[in-house]
Amino acid sequence: MVMKSGGFYYGKKLLLFLFSIFLLSAVIFFISRLAPGDPLVSYYGDHAERMSPEERQWAEEKLGLTDSLPVQYVHWLERALQGDFGISYKYKRDVTEVIGERMGNTLILGGIGFCLIFGLALALGIFCAWREESLADRVICKIGTVTSCIPEFWMSLLLILIFAMNLKWLPSSGAYTLGGTRDLEDRIRHLILPLTAVIMGHLWYYAYMIRNKILEEARADYVLFARSKGLKKSSIVLKHCLRNVLPTYLSLMAISLPHILGGTYIIEMVFSYPGIGTLAYESARYKDYNLLMVLSILSGITVILCSIVAEIINERMNPCIRGNHIVEDTEVAER
Amino acid sequence: MREQFEIVGMLPAPHTPIEKKRKWYQGKPVFRTILLVLIVTGCFACDLVMTKEPTYLDLNHFNSAPNREFLFGTDTMGRDIFSMIWYGGRTSLVIGIVATAISTAMGIIFGALSGSMPDWMDKVLMRLTEILLSVPGLLLVVLLQAVLGKANVLSISFVIGITGWMSIGKVVRTEVKGLGNKEYVIASKCMGGGFFHILGKHLTPNIVSSVMFMVIMNVRNAIMAESALSFMGLGLPVEEISWGSMLSLSQNALLTNSWWIILIPGSFLLVTLMCVTSLGNSLRKKINQKDSNL
Repeated sequence: MVMKSGGFYYGKKLLLFLFSIFLLSAVIFFISRLAPGDPLVSYYGDHAERMSPEERQWAEEKLGLTDSLPVQYVHWLERALQGDFGISYKYKRDVTEVIGERMGNTLILGGIGFCLIFGLALALGIFCAWREESLADRVICKIGTVTSCIPEFWMSLLLILIFAMNLKWLPSSGAYTLGGTRDLEDRIRHLILPLTAVIMGHLWYYAYMIRNKILEEARADYVLFARSKGLKKSSIVLKHCLRNVLPTYLSLMAISLPHILGGTYIIEMVFSYPGIGTLAYESARYKDYNLLMVLSILSGITVILCSIVAEIINERMNPCIRGNHIVEDTEVAER
Repeated sequence: MREQFEIVGMLPAPHTPIEKKRKWYQGKPVFRTILLVLIVTGCFACDLVMTKEPTYLDLNHFNSAPNREFLFGTDTMGRDIFSMIWYGGRTSLVIGIVATAISTAMGIIFGALSGSMPDWMDKVLMRLTEILLSVPGLLLVVLLQAVLGKANVLSISFVIGITGWMSIGKVVRTEVKGLGNKEYVIASKCMGGGFFHILGKHLTPNIVSSVMFMVIMNVRNAIMAESALSFMGLGLPVEEISWGSMLSLSQNALLTNSWWIILIPGSFLLVTLMCVTSLGNSLRKKINQKDSNL
C-alpha cells in the first residue's frame, strides 16, 4: 500500500471529524426540540411567561420558531458558530458562561484521574504479568475483579461513609471548605476521595487488559528466541512485549478518555463537586433543556474526537491495521 | 513388519496419564452459581421470603438499625429493608433481563445487517452508529421520561436497551463477516432465503457461543445502569422499589450515619453483579492455556 502524504491523511480525518460533529449536533438538536417544554422559556427565562401575545409573536419570529425544524437548525447553527448558545433557564445566564465556570473543576478531577489510571494500570499490569500465577498475582486479580464490579456511586458512598462520616479524616463534599481559605491544601483534601472513587472504578479493567496482553505476547515464539539468546526477563518484557502491547493500550486509553470523564459525572454528583457532572445532573432534574443540550453536544464531541485520535494512533503506530485489507487478501491467496 | 526391526537405543516412553483427575466441580464457579441461584429464586419468590409488606410505611420505626423485628433495619421512610431487598431485587433483575433482550435483538440484527453488506455500506453504517451512540444517555433518559410521563420498569429497560447494544453489534458483525461467504449461506441465498431466514437458521447458531459472553455482561451492565439512574433520581421513583431506588435514599442516610441503608442493598447489588460477571468469565474460552515462554 502506498503511504499517502501526511497532510492528505490528517485532512481526511479532520473532514470526518467536522462532518461527525455536524450530524451529532443535528441529532441532539432534533431530540431536544422533541422534548416538551417551551423553547422561548429557554431563551428568555421567566420573562417569556409575562409576554403579551404580540411580544410572543415577535420573539418567536425573531428566534425563527415559526419556521420548520431544519430551518431552525440552520439558524441555531449560525448563532452557535458565533458562540451564542442561548441562556440557561435555571441560572438565567449564558450557557457558555455557566459551563466555563465548572469546566476547570471537571478537567482537574478527570485529568488527574485519567493520568493516574493510565500509569497505575500499566505498572499493575506489568507486575501481575511478571509474577503470573503467583500468590500476589492471584490476590490482586481477585481484589481487582471485586472492585471492578462495584458501581461507582456506591463506592463513593462507602468512601464518604467510612472516611468522612466515621473517621472524619476528609471532607465529604464540595471543592473548597465553605468560608475557608481557598488554598491548595484545602483543595487537595477535597480531591482525595472523589479521585479515589474515579480510580478504583476504572483501574482494574485496564490493568487486567495489560496483564492479559503481555501474557499473550509471552507465549509468542519471538520471546522464546530472545530467551534462548540469553536476554534478561526484564528486557524482554519491557523492550519487546510492552512495545507490542503499547499501541493497543494507547488507542484504548484514547477511547476511554470520555468514558472516564463521563464516569466522573455521577461521582461529582455524590460528592457535590462543582463540575460539569453536577451541572448535567441538575439540568436533567430541573428540565433545563438548553443547558443539557449544549452539555450533550460537548460530551458527544469529546467522544468523537477521542475515537478519531484512537484511530490515528492505531493506524500510525501499527502498520498491521493500516494495511488490514491487504493482510486479509494475502491470507485468502494463501488458502 | 514392525516386530522384525528393533531400533537400537530407543527409550520406550513411560506410560503417564495425560490429565490429572479433576473433580467435576473444579475450575467451575460452583459457589457463585449457587449464590446467584439463591438470590434469583429469593427475588422471584419474594412473596414467600418477605417478612413484612415492603411498601408499608411504618412511621413508628423509621430509620431503625437492624434488630430482631426488622432483620436489616428500616429506611428513612420506615419500610422494612429485608422485605424490600427481595421485592426490589425482582424489579432490578427484570430490568436487567428485559434491557438485555432488547439490546441483544438490536445488536444481532444490526451486526448481521452490517456484516453482510458491501464494504463501503458497512463502513458508513458503523460511522453513523458511532455518532448516534455518542449522544449521551442522560439526554435520552430525560427525553423519554418527558414523553412517557412517569418512568416505569419498561421505559427504563427500553432506554438502557437502546443505549447498550453496540458491543454485541460489533461482535456479531465481525463473526458474520467471517461467515458471510461460507457455502451454505450462499446456497441458502440462491434458494431464495430472506435475510431473517438466513440470520435465524444459519448465522445465529454459529455466533451464539461468542455472543453469549457479551449478553451476560450486558445483563450486568443493565442492572448497574438501572441502579445508577434510579440512585440519581432519574430512573425509577422512590415508591417503585428496586436496588437502585433503595439507594437513592442514601443521601439522607449519610446525614444520620445509618450505614445499613447504604450497605445492605449495595452489598446485594455487588454480590449479584460479581456472580453474573464470573459466570460470564467462565463461559469465555480460557486463552492462556499455553505455557509461558518467559
